[in-house]
Amino acid sequence: MEVSVIGSSQANILKTDLACRELGLLSFKNGSRVSWGKSQISFGRSCGLRNSGVRLTLKAVQTEAIRPQKISRPQSQHGVRLYVGLPLDAVSYCNAVNHAKAIAAGLKALKLLGVEGVELPIWWGVVEKEAMGKYDWSGYLALVEMVHKVGLKLHVSLCFHGSKHAKIPLPEWVIKIGEQNPSIFFTDRTGQQYKECLSLAVDEVPVLEGKTPVEVYNDFCESFKSSFSSFIGSTIDGISMGLGPDGELRYPSHQGLSRSSKVPGVGEFQCYDKSMLALLKEHGETTGNPLWGLGGPHDAPAYDASPSSNSFFKDDGGSWESPYGDFFLSWYSSLLVRHADRLLSLASSAFGDSEVAIYSKVPLVHQWYKTRSHPAELTAGFYNTQNRDGYEVIAEMFAQHSCKMILPGMDLSDEGQLQEGLSSPEQLLGQIWSACKKHGVEVSGENSSDAVAHGGFEQIRKHLSGEDAAHSFFYQRMGAYFFSPEHFPSFTQLVRNMKQPQMHTDDLLSEEEKAKEPVAATSESGIQMQTA
Amino acid sequence: MSSAVSTEPLLHRSFREISRPRFRSSTLRPSPPPASLSCAPKSPSFRHARRRCASGSGPRRGGWGGAGAGALLRVRASSSGAAVVEALESADVLFQEAFPLQRTETAKGKIFVRLDQGKDGQNWQLTVGCTLAGKWILHWGISHVDDVGSEWDQPPAEMRPPGSIPIKDYAIETPLQKSSTSMDGDEVYEVNISIKSNSNIAAINFVLKDEESGSWYQHRGRDFKVPLMDSLQDDSNIVGSKRGFDLWPGALGQLSNILLKGEASDYKDKDASTDLEASKQEVRCLEGFYVEQPIVKVVSIRNSVNISVKICPKTAKTLVYLETDLPRDVIVHWGVCRDDSKKWEIPAAPYPPETEIFKNKALRTLLQPKEQGNGFWGSFALDEEFVGFLFVLKLKEEDVWLNCMGEDFYIPVSSTRSSSLIRQKESDSTETSGKTMETNTEVSSTAYTDDIINEIRNLVSDISSEKSRKTKTKEAQESILQEIEKLAAEAYSIFRSSLPTFSAEAVLEQEALEPPPHICSGTGTGFEILCQGFNWESNKSGRWYKELMEKASQLASLGFTVVWLPPPTDSVSPEGYMPRDLYNLNSRYGTIDELKDLVKKFHEVNIRVLGDVVLNHRCAQYQNQNGIWNIFGGRLNWDDRAVVADDPHFQVGRGNKSSGDNFHAAPNIDHSQDFVRKDLKEWLHWLRSEIGYDGWRLDFVRGFWGGYVKDYLDASEPYFAVGEYWDSLSYTYGEMDHNQDAHRQRIIDWINATNGTAGAFDVTTKGILHAALERCEYWRLSDQKGKPPGVVGWWPSRAVTFVENHDTGSTQGHWRFPSGKEMQGYAYILTHPGTPAVFYDHIFSHYQSEIGSLISIRNRNKIHCRSTIKITKAERDVYAAIIDDKVAMKIGPGYYEPQSGPQKWSPVLEGRDYKVWETS
Repeated sequence: MEVSVIGSSQANILKTDLACRELGLLSFKNGSRVSWGKSQISFGRSCGLRNSGVRLTLKAVQTEAIRPQKISRPQSQHGVRLYVGLPLDAVSYCNAVNHAKAIAAGLKALKLLGVEGVELPIWWGVVEKEAMGKYDWSGYLALVEMVHKVGLKLHVSLCFHGSKHAKIPLPEWVIKIGEQNPSIFFTDRTGQQYKECLSLAVDEVPVLEGKTPVEVYNDFCESFKSSFSSFIGSTIDGISMGLGPDGELRYPSHQGLSRSSKVPGVGEFQCYDKSMLALLKEHGETTGNPLWGLGGPHDAPAYDASPSSNSFFKDDGGSWESPYGDFFLSWYSSLLVRHADRLLSLASSAFGDSEVAIYSKVPLVHQWYKTRSHPAELTAGFYNTQNRDGYEVIAEMFAQHSCKMILPGMDLSDEGQLQEGLSSPEQLLGQIWSACKKHGVEVSGENSSDAVAHGGFEQIRKHLSGEDAAHSFFYQRMGAYFFSPEHFPSFTQLVRNMKQPQMHTDDLLSEEEKAKEPVAATSESGIQMQTA
Repeated sequence: MSSAVSTEPLLHRSFREISRPRFRSSTLRPSPPPASLSCAPKSPSFRHARRRCASGSGPRRGGWGGAGAGALLRVRASSSGAAVVEALESADVLFQEAFPLQRTETAKGKIFVRLDQGKDGQNWQLTVGCTLAGKWILHWGISHVDDVGSEWDQPPAEMRPPGSIPIKDYAIETPLQKSSTSMDGDEVYEVNISIKSNSNIAAINFVLKDEESGSWYQHRGRDFKVPLMDSLQDDSNIVGSKRGFDLWPGALGQLSNILLKGEASDYKDKDASTDLEASKQEVRCLEGFYVEQPIVKVVSIRNSVNISVKICPKTAKTLVYLETDLPRDVIVHWGVCRDDSKKWEIPAAPYPPETEIFKNKALRTLLQPKEQGNGFWGSFALDEEFVGFLFVLKLKEEDVWLNCMGEDFYIPVSSTRSSSLIRQKESDSTETSGKTMETNTEVSSTAYTDDIINEIRNLVSDISSEKSRKTKTKEAQESILQEIEKLAAEAYSIFRSSLPTFSAEAVLEQEALEPPPHICSGTGTGFEILCQGFNWESNKSGRWYKELMEKASQLASLGFTVVWLPPPTDSVSPEGYMPRDLYNLNSRYGTIDELKDLVKKFHEVNIRVLGDVVLNHRCAQYQNQNGIWNIFGGRLNWDDRAVVADDPHFQVGRGNKSSGDNFHAAPNIDHSQDFVRKDLKEWLHWLRSEIGYDGWRLDFVRGFWGGYVKDYLDASEPYFAVGEYWDSLSYTYGEMDHNQDAHRQRIIDWINATNGTAGAFDVTTKGILHAALERCEYWRLSDQKGKPPGVVGWWPSRAVTFVENHDTGSTQGHWRFPSGKEMQGYAYILTHPGTPAVFYDHIFSHYQSEIGSLISIRNRNKIHCRSTIKITKAERDVYAAIIDDKVAMKIGPGYYEPQSGPQKWSPVLEGRDYKVWETS
């Protein structure tokens, strides 16, 4: 059942708003699926206006009907809900709103374009910078207020990682702890640490002043929830839980990758911090192979190397297919799944009672997908090979927590990739997508980088139309390039195509004629429930 | 040979200052009226400047500073306007009120100077007059023949006209009297000074002062100077030369709270200095002359606007009738609103005659002259669905906006409508809409108010069917797309210019791109020199205001233009930083009346006054039921809703979480609450109007979000504002880091959050000076890019540099400047860009004369907050820089001499481990 609300005056709309809340609760209890698809608002004067052919403009609509989020929206004719990412440093390391004027102008432009909302990364390192439990949300509150005022929706990404790119590190106090206790960070074979997020091996080890990272994340979420309670469920309609490097569910297997090489190498396993090694040892002992648990694979290639440069990932007779390979890879990948499970259950218990949808991001590790061993996915923690589907288990776990999955790389096409890389973003996307479909996990799209190349828009459009379209899309990311003359027009075109395909084909006119009648019939009434 | 020669060196040498207030020379040039409203002129006069730009607190929907000026869209005036007026008589009055309008007007007149030979042929008479009404005072002194230096002397007693008052030992103030004669029909005020021909007076120097406004009038930015040359000459030369009386500029001084139209064409001596050159060539004798120059005076004028609201029984529309006694063409910038949010929107046509749509955000209607000729009127017919009528007034020919105490005028129009009227209306309305349909469409198809935004999706995808409709929609869409493009372009330009870390270039570009939308930016003219007018002990005597009053003229003569007074409110602590009842201004520093007198006194000597306002926290007067002190008393009787909820010591606060750091001694105010902000804005407004404060020093602004500060500054429109954002610098293993970018970034971030409406104390610079001076590490004074390492290196126009204040020094000494090296600090800040602030304790110490000299060097070289600086040396034991290519300085024990290139440097001041040069 879809219900739409049609108000006849400002005052009524406000009342309706309240009514919506109550109704939303009631219907939720009843278990029925209700959605406030759209609100059409017209006023007493509208008869004259309708005659004149334009029925809007001078009247204000100040509120939008709220949209209870727990309830999944059927795909409307509007199609995908589009969110544009705000700059990574929208709130500076010092907790002030950066380029506020530009953002204000940008928000307005997006609203005018008809974009659903924006995505805002909230950094652990900014909010809880100085000491554990000392949160400063002021910069973000100011920004949320700005978004709220413009009338856009907001998707919040809780970033429990740092970003070299945005020059935002982890909280100062965490870094200090890391200096004393380096094993809280992922470490590779050579001892190189990845300091942009905590190792998943310490998730439940009280390494942070007596608290476990999961507890600290939980406190952070609770503080977020209470600080933004007035926005959650209204302006804030979605929350992404950061699961690892760059917020993605993976190991930082490419941390040592040099930028110079054209074809990215296979990456390396990140299982060499003390806690990981301890877990590995334990795993070896419990499975009866204590010797296997003494270290990671000795024959894995280096970061930049190709799969065949050492024996582990070799297509023919590589160690990955051996019992040892299975022993190691299933352990390595299961830790990642368990880590995601912990954080998502944390998120669903923290935000489950609020009207927001929970999302998390799974990376699209498409390099070397066309090989049998899928080495890049293996080092990143996805035990996905020619012989084995590594994404089913993840989709299943997402489904358990009613978490939606964000898949980046929707702008990538196979043709756009280098031949030597043997990569296939489209096939991988298809694989993950079908796993999600199987388990009823909604998929949201995201583009892979800050700069979508020309073919990319076509690719995005492809993923956003058709039967299996993503239900929302996160377009990354607002900034100078985004608004630049070489980019912004293409983006505008993308949005317009998404919003109103009918405007471009005259064939659809007849359908519009048909659609006209109900609109005219309902515009005069006070509040109507319309079952569709 | 010529007498003028002897005065020439005065241009540079003197360090002693004459009581000559200097203000804002940058506003001297009369500028043409700005092309768009987004850059209304800065009001040049202070206290009485009531011009208000409508932005910010003005009509919010006006779209100032938008990405491009929208074209004015002409709308045909509909004929129904006339009918509306007729109907007015018969209607019931719903609302009637007269609002005062305060504005300033510039009166034009002239100053004239005449020298006549007396009847006896022996004595001469100098007449100085003015054709503008006012309480005019001639502030004057003489130069003797053998004087060196530009100091004035008091004239001999016989020269002093009756009513003269001596000012210190170097000047006389003589009031101008209304003359019996008149000039071109204007009243004339004048004063006559007799000069004995045999006296040894080389010149008479003067400035004209208007006591009413406190303005000083000079000659092209300098003192008037009338040389009396014959008195200098040898006997042989007394007779002979026949011409050579010139008005020529005095030596120092840049006073300028004035609109001197010095460049105006009727001024005879186009270039005084050329004449001066000429006069050196010949030997001359005294000759009578007459010169005049135009002046402009800003006068405060009160008018009113009367509003009445009625309902027209015929059309059922609300009629707003507006009349005003403003003298010239008036434009009403108006809109309507549907609810209490006072959100502007444009009603549907018809509009009154002479109405334009302004950027689709408001309507502008030119008022009709009244038949009696004593004002203007207009009437506006509104549909009954609107609850309010919003407007501000603008004088058509001038950029003068008139509003209601800083807010838009808001007239409620929907209070008592009877249902019968509404029913009546329904039958009429179809007719009306039919008639006006065309106009309506025209307007709406190109319109893009914010309100449309909410409907766009519907527009884009829902509506459509008939083909005609579709075309219209497309037109509307096009205009929306245009607006989107404008916004995107704006965002692009800002993003592009702002790098991840802050750099000075970025700001410059940003500033250039966006003309400041406010008249009052809170950042003054750039030539300010601050004096902190108190220390930690000032409250002890209980009569600080009186004591400081005695020092006002001295501070003025030292060259200060702004004084920062202690926090004035009732306070739990004697120093005033724990405010309690904000409206009680009787404090340990004195009573409210003494404060007013003090402010008045400072204004008289042309020093502007900053109030120290504590907005972060406020002490409660009563305990709540749990025994926590969080119930406030006095006029703002807030309760615990005004306290931030996360204030750990006053944790029963019911407000929102704090937007900044907590100050632990008193309940932190929750600025996110509308009522709190409204009350504080009113309070600041009250301080401005009641006490006469010109601006603010904002205490502990770390405690709350800078965006709120912007809000307060927009509302109180200070001339100058500076915030105290004090946090600690970065140290590694007990040593201060060379790179303090993070520290200054935090201060910059705060300034940014205030939208640049306030400056901030440059704590970074102070910290770096400490390290450099204490440890002899002068290399610290240049950052990696060769710029000053403090805030002043990144955003000089917002940096208020200082050496010490009541917290860091005085008897508290929380962070005292390296002892004995204060003058090096002052040699740095008083020669560098940024706005320097000098601490009271240092002014009244043995440093006074050195500080005074530095200030006069700064003033006469016109160094200002944006001056350019080139660091020429930054080594272990010496730091040197050249500012504006006019002043060179070094601090530190090491050796440095500026390289003489095209310009020659001559030392002007030397002290312990510092030295200053000027170009000669």
